[in-house]
Amino acid sequence: MKRIALAAMLGLAAILPAHAQTVVKHLHITSIPAELELMNQAVAEFEAANPDIKVELPFLENEAFKAKLTTLLQSADAPDVFHSWGGGVFYEQAEAGVLRPVEDIVTAEAKDAIGTAGVSAFTGPDGHLYGLARDVGEVVLWYNKALFEQAGVDPASMNTWDGFLAGVQTIKDAGITPLAIGAKDKWPAHFWWSKLVVRLAGQEGFEAAARGEGDGFAGEDFVKAGDYFLQLAALEPWQPGFAAAAYGDASGYFGDGKAAMHLMGDWDYGVMKDNSASKQGIPDDQLGILPFPTIEGGKGDPTDTLGGLSGYLFSRNASDAAVKWVEFFNSAEVQARFANANFYIPIAKGAADGMVNPFKVQVAQNIGNAHWHALFFDQALGPNVGGVVNDISAELASNAMSAQEAAELIKEALDDSN
Amino acid sequence: MASVAAGTEAAPSVVPRKRRFMERRSWIALLIFLPPSLILFTVFVVLPMIDAATFSFFNWNGYGPITDFVGFKNYDDVLTHRNFGTAVRNSLIVVAVSLLIQLPLAMWCAIALSERSVNINVLRTIFFLPFMLAEVAAGLIWKFVYDGNYGLLPIIGDTIGVEMPFVLADKFWVIPAIMLVITWKYFGFHMMIFIAGLQSIPSEVVEAARLDGVKKWQIVRHIKIPMIRSAMVISVFFAITGALQLFDIIIPLTNGGPSHTSHTIVTFLYQFGILRMKLGFGGAVSVLLFIACVVVALAYRRVLFRVEQT
Repeated sequence: MKRIALAAMLGLAAILPAHAQTVVKHLHITSIPAELELMNQAVAEFEAANPDIKVELPFLENEAFKAKLTTLLQSADAPDVFHSWGGGVFYEQAEAGVLRPVEDIVTAEAKDAIGTAGVSAFTGPDGHLYGLARDVGEVVLWYNKALFEQAGVDPASMNTWDGFLAGVQTIKDAGITPLAIGAKDKWPAHFWWSKLVVRLAGQEGFEAAARGEGDGFAGEDFVKAGDYFLQLAALEPWQPGFAAAAYGDASGYFGDGKAAMHLMGDWDYGVMKDNSASKQGIPDDQLGILPFPTIEGGKGDPTDTLGGLSGYLFSRNASDAAVKWVEFFNSAEVQARFANANFYIPIAKGAADGMVNPFKVQVAQNIGNAHWHALFFDQALGPNVGGVVNDISAELASNAMSAQEAAELIKEALDDSN
Repeated sequence: MASVAAGTEAAPSVVPRKRRFMERRSWIALLIFLPPSLILFTVFVVLPMIDAATFSFFNWNGYGPITDFVGFKNYDDVLTHRNFGTAVRNSLIVVAVSLLIQLPLAMWCAIALSERSVNINVLRTIFFLPFMLAEVAAGLIWKFVYDGNYGLLPIIGDTIGVEMPFVLADKFWVIPAIMLVITWKYFGFHMMIFIAGLQSIPSEVVEAARLDGVKKWQIVRHIKIPMIRSAMVISVFFAITGALQLFDIIIPLTNGGPSHTSHTIVTFLYQFGILRMKLGFGGAVSVLLFIACVVVALAYRRVLFRVEQT
């Protein structure tokens, strides 16, 4: 009997480790059910190939995610892997030591797949790699061809700022809301200010201001960006009640065909459909992308783009299994599914090759050809200065603040945090 | 608490011997019943308070050790912040609306509904329902009601032929709109407190007055209201401190907008302290709010104590 008991115990001991799974908690912000299904599918495949690893996919809504992350990362409940937009927030996390350097664990293959841009975006100020880039995005001026036709506006006439303002006025005179905007969330408004800054100040001007050189964000080009924004706001081009509309509301308004244009990320292609009353949104043949109007005398390069280079970061306590999971998830083979379903444009080499959606292909080309792919300003500048940029943008959209005051507030916030 | 201690000290000096005996026995009860609440109170109230007060003297983004001592700079930043005045003003408006509209309304409903009957019970439950609803849910429901495109308000406006404003996007209308939600949400709570008070009034007193030919409103004015004074004292206290700490309803309704016009002190703290990762700034706001609440509580007790003595 004793021997049997011993054998049984040994047997148990042999079996137990096989059952002791490493759990990888991957905190994501994906709200589209079909996209989540693809993620679950990837998890199932990964777990089948790696029975000792279990991947969990907890979800937090965008705004809740931003608010909760700081506390979460310093708690025992910290996720192993989490979404990141890079930029200032990522740098603060890296400096605080809540992230795990992974340059020695990530395979050369995985680094190679995301390219130099993908690696440098998630390399901290201390030179360590803390995550992997997943996708690129661009803020574009979506427009509804049917409404343009109805208003009798030629999209080509809107290539310059003056032409754009004239077009907005014509659309408004035709009884159509020219632009949808989710100003309650503020960041949708900051795209306008940012695009104007990209045009007016360009890469050098922006980077110098972010370093606090010269007049910084109170400089001429930034005041001018506010002035141009106010010119647009003075036409009252937004949908009624825009100040209380969240991004989702504005996206649905555009998707329902009630506004002629929406300055938003390429992801709005899916979100606009999802938020529209019919869930169909604007049909592809009625939807178009306008180039953001150029401004005479602007220092930016005409090819400059504004958008994101997002990815995943590893928290302090992340296991090697977490890195293994992200490498699998970020592989061209898995990412191609997300590209083909038009959820985003993966950065992994070859993943976007099968993309047929003309809008996504165009955005991928824009970013590929860009002289400067500016990272979302509210992310690039960190939560404090970025928060002020969002604030003043919402104010400028409501025509409630002077351009001079807006510029000075940003400079003040930057001086304050240095 | 201060007045309670003062009250026992002022008691006649015949009791000391008896009291000492009582104290010895009550020690055991203290040892059994005090630790759980004391520990919870310390861990979840006192320690966080001390933490917040400490943060308020440092420049800290929430990550890593707290080292950058800045003295009273955070307090200076709060007091000179362009939106702090609005937040304080809004919080005071909430206090005023709570005291001048919500409580009288609750009192009126309580007097009307203090009889015991099935129909009245149904009404009472209906009035009390909003209070049981989670704050965020209430905020979201009212966001839909006020929505200028698809909400209930524009539908009502259409039927009566008036074009309704987008209330939550309007710098003026947003405050009355929020006040309506707050009154709707909380008056049921105060109504219940008043009803409990009214039901504890001995029916003989009311009956005797009625037999003496006292008119209905005079019964209310001279018997009912004076006899539920202690319920009112509690209600007013809850109304003031609750109003100063209002947060959950604002976030889903307006998130402090448009243009930061609908912040209360606590949403201001959350927006500019926590979301902007300036925890020292947030700490300073919370310390100022705490001081305000303590001052209100102490002043309130003192005023009441004086009233009770006269």
